[in-house]
Amino acid sequence: MTRAGVLLFARTLGAALAASATLAHAQTSSDALAWLRKIYQATQRLSYTGTFVYQRGDETEASRIVHVAGTGTGIEKLEALDGARREIVRTRDTVQSYLPDARTLKVDRRTVGPRDRGRGFPAMLPERLSGLARNYTVSFGDTARIAGYECREVVLRPNDRYRYGYRLWADRRSGMLLKARTFNAKGETLEQFTFTQLRIGPVPRGEVRVRPVPPGWRVEDSSVQPVDLAAEGWRVDADLPGFEKVAEVKRKLRATHLVDQVVYSDGMAAVSVFIEPMPAAAAEVHPGLSRTGATNIYTREVADHLVTVVGEAPAVSVQRIGDSVEYHPPH
Amino acid sequence: MRAKISALMDGELEGSELAASLAAIGARDGEAYEAWCLYHIVGDALCGTRPLSEAFNARFAQRLAAEPTVLAPAAARAQPERRRWIALSAAASIAAAALVGWLSLAPQGGVGTAPVQIAQAPVRAAPPMAVAAAAKAPARVPLPREADDYLLAHQSYSLRSSLQGMMPYVRTVAVENVAGRP
Repeated sequence: MTRAGVLLFARTLGAALAASATLAHAQTSSDALAWLRKIYQATQRLSYTGTFVYQRGDETEASRIVHVAGTGTGIEKLEALDGARREIVRTRDTVQSYLPDARTLKVDRRTVGPRDRGRGFPAMLPERLSGLARNYTVSFGDTARIAGYECREVVLRPNDRYRYGYRLWADRRSGMLLKARTFNAKGETLEQFTFTQLRIGPVPRGEVRVRPVPPGWRVEDSSVQPVDLAAEGWRVDADLPGFEKVAEVKRKLRATHLVDQVVYSDGMAAVSVFIEPMPAAAAEVHPGLSRTGATNIYTREVADHLVTVVGEAPAVSVQRIGDSVEYHPPH
Repeated sequence: MRAKISALMDGELEGSELAASLAAIGARDGEAYEAWCLYHIVGDALCGTRPLSEAFNARFAQRLAAEPTVLAPAAARAQPERRRWIALSAAASIAAAALVGWLSLAPQGGVGTAPVQIAQAPVRAAPPMAVAAAAKAPARVPLPREADDYLLAHQSYSLRSSLQGMMPYVRTVAVENVAGRP
């Protein structure tokens, strides 16, 4: 074995030992992790139609969802049944939001970088699931019957205060996710998704056809491009255990202005940092924290730029990432 | 004035009378203040409460000054019918503070015979550290106008959407409703 080979081997062994030590400490069951993997595969592999309810505080919103599975050609449609009309169609690498009231179509194209070429649209790589065990204790919960399906519950308890906990209920047979709940350190439910009706099985493709843009509609394309923020003088040092940078892009927001976006994730939760020049209507900017469901939003001004941190993580995490943003003019 | 102070201690004063009596006591000299002290000593004697040590006030004031200032939003204007209740609860808090003070301080000092005086609550700025900590806590603000745009852009990268399919996307819809936008 060459010297480099020995070093590599030693490092890999060290990492494996460290990982197993963490696993043992966290008492994450490997069965529960395997079950998470099955849930992940089920969302990709199964075709289904159903209605689910989103709950946040005492508000509820019903939506209809259709998913047609297919290798690389899967397509999914979400239609809001309550409140503002909205339809979102997602394919492998685009998300199209139809907003009839605003006569606007928002198109979000996902960059296909060299690292995720050939991967499905959802960025989650199955191998990341094992990384979850470092940040959460994953174990089985009770069984429950949801929308007519016998479900098995899996619980992700955060290992520290920088993330929320999750309870996921999935069909015992297929692994299809029927219910998902996000809870905080006090055990309070922050938001919840529950299927009230679900049919698993083939779906006619016509149900999710991408329709042409109606005449007179505005099309807002996000035109996502990779970007190097450090070269532009920005430093975002997410000093948060378990969170790693998963994306760094420049995109258009509302077709009018360019925004930089850096995304951090711990395998379950993600936090985005948006950086843009201070808008002309600066009076409308309110620095501080706001929250909707399990999503915290932290707004701050740095070097005449607006920094907006959005993430389904506790306020402390979102604020910490936001406060780390610095600008040093490039030489 | 003595009658007013007596009524005040029984929690029977309201409105401008209450304010005037408190102001008179706060002025720290004259009949009102003397009456306030005297009536408390009488009350304590009747109840068999032991007088506090001589240094109690000074130590209490010192500790109170060292407490960080709690920055709370201004309380809503109290309704007249609730004034009495508020006065009572304020009295209860003072009693609790006194009890805590008593428990923590009494064993250290000897029992003196000086009349009980109102603790001089100094109005002073909190220590710098407490101020810094308070300044660091961000303000609670309404959702940014563009919240749904940010959420939509964020959602594409949220790894949860792999597990939950498109379900989390509905949050952007919900936000739009909250913001009351089309």
